[in-house]
Amino acid sequence: MFYLGYLRSELLRRKSRTILTLLGLSIGVALVIAISALSRGLDHAQKTALNPLSSIGTDLTVTLAPQQDAGGGFGNPGGFGAGREVLQANQSAITDLSKLGKPGTHFVHDFFLPGTQLTFPQTQTKQIASMNGVSAVSSGLVLSAVHQEGTVPKIVARLKTGGQRLTVTGRVRFDFTPAQRDKIRQCFQQYFQSSGVTPGQGPGGQGGGRLGRGGRIGGGGGGFLASPAAQKCLPAQVRNFAKTIVTPQQTIQQLVNPPQTNITSSTYSIAGVDPSQPNIGLVTPSLLSSGRFLTSGDDALVADSYATRKALKLGSKLDLNGTSFAVVGLVKPPLGGQTADVYVPLSKLQTLAGEKGLANVVLVRADKSSSVSQVQKEIENAFPNAQVASSKQVADQITGSLVDASKLSHRLGIALAAIAALAAFLLAALLTLSSVGKRVREIGTLKALGWKQRTVVRQVVGESLAQGVGGGLVGVALGVAVAAAIGAFGPSLTATSATGGSGGGDFGLGAITARTVTDEVPLTAPIAVEVLLIGFALALAGGLIAGAAGAFRAARLRPADALRTVE
Amino acid sequence: MSLYELSDVAKVFRKGSVEVRAVDGVDLTIEAGELVALEGPSGSGKTTLLQLLGALDRPTSGHVFFEGRDLAQLRDNELAELRLRAFGFVFQQFNLIPTLTALENVEAGLAPTGVARKELRLRSLALLGEVGLAERAHHLPAQLSGGEQQRVAIARALAVEPRVILADEPTGNLDTKSGADVIDLLAGLAAQRGSTVIVATHDAGLAARAPRRLAMRDGAIVGEPVAVS
Repeated sequence: MFYLGYLRSELLRRKSRTILTLLGLSIGVALVIAISALSRGLDHAQKTALNPLSSIGTDLTVTLAPQQDAGGGFGNPGGFGAGREVLQANQSAITDLSKLGKPGTHFVHDFFLPGTQLTFPQTQTKQIASMNGVSAVSSGLVLSAVHQEGTVPKIVARLKTGGQRLTVTGRVRFDFTPAQRDKIRQCFQQYFQSSGVTPGQGPGGQGGGRLGRGGRIGGGGGGFLASPAAQKCLPAQVRNFAKTIVTPQQTIQQLVNPPQTNITSSTYSIAGVDPSQPNIGLVTPSLLSSGRFLTSGDDALVADSYATRKALKLGSKLDLNGTSFAVVGLVKPPLGGQTADVYVPLSKLQTLAGEKGLANVVLVRADKSSSVSQVQKEIENAFPNAQVASSKQVADQITGSLVDASKLSHRLGIALAAIAALAAFLLAALLTLSSVGKRVREIGTLKALGWKQRTVVRQVVGESLAQGVGGGLVGVALGVAVAAAIGAFGPSLTATSATGGSGGGDFGLGAITARTVTDEVPLTAPIAVEVLLIGFALALAGGLIAGAAGAFRAARLRPADALRTVE
Repeated sequence: MSLYELSDVAKVFRKGSVEVRAVDGVDLTIEAGELVALEGPSGSGKTTLLQLLGALDRPTSGHVFFEGRDLAQLRDNELAELRLRAFGFVFQQFNLIPTLTALENVEAGLAPTGVARKELRLRSLALLGEVGLAERAHHLPAQLSGGEQQRVAIARALAVEPRVILADEPTGNLDTKSGADVIDLLAGLAAQRGSTVIVATHDAGLAARAPRRLAMRDGAIVGEPVAVS
């Protein structure tokens, strides 16, 4: 067919123009595809990372934070919320190292601290479960663990005290019976009468008056009462008061200076989950990246990041104060909310940590999304001290480049794709128009040769169409390549969430109990078939419309005018 | 019935407020088989008149009758059909399609007639042979000399066996020797086919070879200096 040969010649023998057009078209198409793929990738990343609660089947998390300590004392001027209760709870968990074994022996021990969340009886969750609009409730226990190992230090001093003899002589206060008082008084009067001395005149005479009130015997030093005559009037026990007391002997054990041994200490977080409720809990089977979910036995799930850090694998043993847990699964805990490095059955953790029957987080699922806020209010009313966090509130606490990029993509993604699409379309149109514009004289010649307008238009549009197809195909390939490159070499986005309380704190406890979880979400750019088609169609439509417009314009020129056009 | 009958034909171009009467009141009759030279300096209206005769344009006023049909009354497609079947054009600038080979350029003049691919090729090759370019059939215009390009253009113009060949300054871009060759070729081939030839030129030497010479000044035919019969 002559016309196809002509078309081929036009495209192949004007290589630079064809390449330019193809390049322009394909870059536009590739931009549209890459941008929309990127936008999708960000959306996807956001859905998985920034919707932390949905993956654990939860709408609300309920925790009990300590009350602000208004009375000072332990209170921290910085406003740290950990009050006296939490501090005491944490201190009580710190075990006397001397109980771990004989000094000098090796020990491994995990201390479990409740962190900044108060524990409460697990039974309270029943009250939440009975509320309107609540479809499921699960309780959990999230603890900060301090793992210590090293040599048991010599930290005990043994002191013996007591056994001293103490001899006490002197005046002692006595209470005399009225009969005794009368007898003493009579004796004194006899003495006064016989000696001619009047009471009250001699030194210490005041003492007699005091005696009447059952006070002390004697008064000033010496004097009448010290005289042998007066002594005779007093009962024998008063006359010679002397007693020997032996203090009791005792041995006091006492903690001395902080131990300076090779004890290493590391912290991690551990959570107890109810294995009987796999659909709602601090960890759910959907978060498993390998292995299986917990049963009620000595199973443990380990967060991917912690497993990497500690070189733990499926089947590894985790020894916690004598209980050996088997790692049965690796999980990727959601960001935000209540996460932990290690998950074990709730009852096991309660036993280990001495928190029997206690929990410190309740996960609540509403029966429908519209009732979430109502349930939240209900819980807040029933438990004034409770902190009730919804998915959105948890998500809002997540920061990092993923959030920024996601916001950016939400704001700009559609606009960018539209701009790229428009650019691709305009580029196609302009390139085609300019190439048609340069061929006005050629078109005039064709018309002079007897080509009908329809034939001329068909020829020019055919060329544009071919370029559109070519540019579209190259663009699609380019877009797919760019998207793949983003997936392969693209940056990882980070999402960071602080959990377990605000930073800082009393006596360094904050540093132990609060932690920041950063999740790296690799940026991918998944391509949707419809986007490919749209990109391709854009190139085609741009070329086609512009080609047709240009061709009609040129073909409608009177051939005489077209021929007059100087190339 | 004469081949062409023109009565008071005028073509007026407007450039802003300036009105240019490129062709101004031409009355003319041309018989089939004539070889006519249109003489005159640049801007005298030769090209415009040729375009009116070749159905590339419509007159502003007056009538151009070709084989008894008023060209002004025909629709675009009918004019295109006429250009395809009845007229063959040769231009000063050759106007070959730059991306097509010599052979393909000839084919471009024949393709709209709908002849089969094979015949298209054979006829085009035969025409190139007639103008002496059989061995250059697959060269692009840029690879041909001016004289060769114009010979390709002649082959293209003759491809459909037109009844009229309209040549606008066909030697204008050629040296004297190749100009003369081109004219010989054109006249010879036209004579073989019994085609009418109308040549616009300002070259008196070339015009002198035509049996009928029409002189143009300012859009009007000012005389037929020689009438050979």
